[in-house]
Amino acid sequence: MNVEREGDYITLSMGPHHPATHGVLRLEVTTDGEVIRACKPDIGYLHRSIEKIGEFLEWYQFVPYTDRVDYVCSMNSNHAWVCAVETLLACSEETKLAIPERAEYIRILFAELNRISSHMVGLGSMTMDMGAFTPFLHALSQREFINDIFEKTCGARLTYNYMCVGGLVRDLHPGAEEEIRAMLKGLERAMIDFNRLISSNNIFKARLAGVAAVSAEDAVSYGLVGPNLRGSGIDFDLRRDKPYGLYGRFQFEVPVGKAYAGSEGRLGDCYDRYVVRLLEVLESIRICRQALDQMPPASGVEDDPVGGWCVAKAAQKALRKPPVGEVYFRCENPRGETGYHIVSDGTKFPYRIKIRTGSFTAMSIFEKLVPGLMIADLVALIGSFDIVLPEVDR
Amino acid sequence: MTISVGPVSDSIASWFSLRGLPLALSEILAVLVVCVLPVVGIVFPIAGVAQYFERKIAASMQRRKGPMVGAVGIVDLVADMLLFWLPRWKRRAAARRVERLPVLGALLRQVRQWGLGSMAADGVKMFLKEDMVPGGADRFLFRGSTYLALTGAFLAFAVFPFSQWYHMGDPPVAALYLGAVTGLVAVSILEAGWSSNNKWSYFGGIRAVAMIVSYETPIALAIAIVCMWSGTMSLQGIIAAQYHPGWFSFAGWNLFQSPLLTLLAGVYYIAALAECNRAPFDLSEGESELVGGFHTEYSGLRWGLFFIAEYGDMLLVGGIFATLFLGGFQSPIGEQWIVSLPPFAEAVVHTLIAVAKALASVGFMMWIRWTLPRFRIDQVMKLAWTKLVPLALFCLFGLALTQLVAAQRVGVVQVVYGRYLSAPVVRLDLFSWFSSWVLVGGAIGIVVWMAKRAAPAQAPEMRRLLGKESA
Repeated sequence: MNVEREGDYITLSMGPHHPATHGVLRLEVTTDGEVIRACKPDIGYLHRSIEKIGEFLEWYQFVPYTDRVDYVCSMNSNHAWVCAVETLLACSEETKLAIPERAEYIRILFAELNRISSHMVGLGSMTMDMGAFTPFLHALSQREFINDIFEKTCGARLTYNYMCVGGLVRDLHPGAEEEIRAMLKGLERAMIDFNRLISSNNIFKARLAGVAAVSAEDAVSYGLVGPNLRGSGIDFDLRRDKPYGLYGRFQFEVPVGKAYAGSEGRLGDCYDRYVVRLLEVLESIRICRQALDQMPPASGVEDDPVGGWCVAKAAQKALRKPPVGEVYFRCENPRGETGYHIVSDGTKFPYRIKIRTGSFTAMSIFEKLVPGLMIADLVALIGSFDIVLPEVDR
Repeated sequence: MTISVGPVSDSIASWFSLRGLPLALSEILAVLVVCVLPVVGIVFPIAGVAQYFERKIAASMQRRKGPMVGAVGIVDLVADMLLFWLPRWKRRAAARRVERLPVLGALLRQVRQWGLGSMAADGVKMFLKEDMVPGGADRFLFRGSTYLALTGAFLAFAVFPFSQWYHMGDPPVAALYLGAVTGLVAVSILEAGWSSNNKWSYFGGIRAVAMIVSYETPIALAIAIVCMWSGTMSLQGIIAAQYHPGWFSFAGWNLFQSPLLTLLAGVYYIAALAECNRAPFDLSEGESELVGGFHTEYSGLRWGLFFIAEYGDMLLVGGIFATLFLGGFQSPIGEQWIVSLPPFAEAVVHTLIAVAKALASVGFMMWIRWTLPRFRIDQVMKLAWTKLVPLALFCLFGLALTQLVAAQRVGVVQVVYGRYLSAPVVRLDLFSWFSSWVLVGGAIGIVVWMAKRAAPAQAPEMRRLLGKESA
């Protein structure tokens, strides 16, 4: 930062209660008129010591806390945690669990549905940051349809606590398949409306094109993940490149940024990240449909290896004395790679939990990216990174 | 001494003096009635009602219901206030009895269903909230700016022609006056932003000034061009020049005279949108960037005054747009039946038409507001200086040329409209009208076609997102 005279600059405290920071993020912004010269993120307003709390809970009791790590995509957080614990249990033959196939499919189905609903929040709030309120409500109304399905199956609309070590808390509610198919059909139509309303709007494009472009090298070296990484043109998706669960059985594309905004756009700008999210929604719809097609029918028996939903007894037994060791499990969440590092000392409590989240690492690039942007661009940048503050602070 | 602002005030003055008031007093009273009525009787109520309609329009665009009064209705509220000494269940029972009344009950149910109570609730809320001045603020400017905002909006109505009989005044340089007083908005917003002792407000104020000052150029150009076209700066004169006898009186409107005037109307409308800080130019407010912009620190009625000033500005812009391009208060389907009415009835009919045109324009602004995202400040500036100003200048030279050629071909005429005789204007004959549309319209069409051809092809992913291509 090149400061000529201290008095020429204004220091603004953007947040922690600023409408554009998507939560309690505080940015200390030094501006020269509208142009920002320096930006220092100040985080920690939502720190709840979730990782430390986990050390005092039994393995299965931590699931509701993962809901709160990223409450916009609780299903994915659940998925990451239970997969991590199941990977730990698989280290020893005695504790290895055979998850029912149907449960695996439902996990992926719900993870993808939650990815859609999370992207709807991200895309919608981004349009609202750009000053368009109508598309925001159109996006959120689609999220409500997904929440309706979740509510019927697991009883909650935000923090689901639906997955557990060994499978799921309960099977899909009767008639869920048809409801999901109908919802996906409506969603596809709504996405086209949404795109015609806002994504192809010239003002919207002009606001995002070429703004805060992250080069591929920067994206890697600052540890960006998920759509933010793919927006910079890096073709990397854990679901395809290191499949977990049954993701290896699905056909889908991994969208990457290609300077979609046209002549004014640059690779890795805000519009690329936005379009990558839009395309991911379409891919998630494809995955959901495949999951519905391939899913074995419910057998009605809880621990049936094909049509059941949970091997609860085996899981309880295994979790009393898990193997000693460490596991780092990574999952492709809506906000990118989420890693659960768990250390087990063989007791029924975890020895240590460490959660690696995409939003937290995205904060680190602000100091490099923001100088030279305008205040309105900073708002676009926060929106395009789709940060969720509980995930930053945990 | 005789003071008068037109025949309507004269007739009101004579009504007063016939009832025994001294002449001078009755004249002053009549002038007050004429001058205050438009603001108090038309602009203020419309500002309140327009807000209700804006909420309904927004709701319908967002597929929701908008303002509605839920289980606790107006009757319950009134019963709670009036019968406060009774226990709650008795108040409820009384309210239910009122609701079962034959006509009143049905009416109340409608009021509830349409959410009309929200207007009253908003008003009451605004009046009852605490009027706060933040610590460290410049109290004098902080308070003064609200009045200035209203002044700017309402002073402009002083020359606004509601009908050929009913206006506060029609100075021969009314167009110049309009440009002068509407600039007051910038001053009031700058004052508000600066005096609030809040950096976000300050940003809002600075943005507003930068934007409004820039957009005054295309506005002034547009008004000047219309004045040139009509040969007068009087708003009544501009309207008179748009008079076209017969049932198809809309054919005389400036909007349809030449494609350049249609283009100019677009330039004026966009610039006027920026002038009254409406989306997509609401940068000075920018709730997602500047929290609330210049009015962040205002509360209660003071905030409400800004709000009314904004709606007053919108109404004014709609009215001026109608005056300049849509024949003002003239009806689109023939004027002869209105002009032949007695002055008072004519004033009423014309006022209704003028307000309807202004409101249509306000509705269009609301539609824009709930559709488009916001510009960035540099884009706003670029739009003004690289697009709107050159376009307006292009219209200026094009229309001057049109007038010159047409004056040679068909000569100039004077339009007789009611009690007005327009300045000598050029009325295009069918040939020049048609050829100007073909020439200029064709040129614009070719430019648009070439721009579309030059644009790079859309990526297949984008086509897929827009539903033009399946995966």
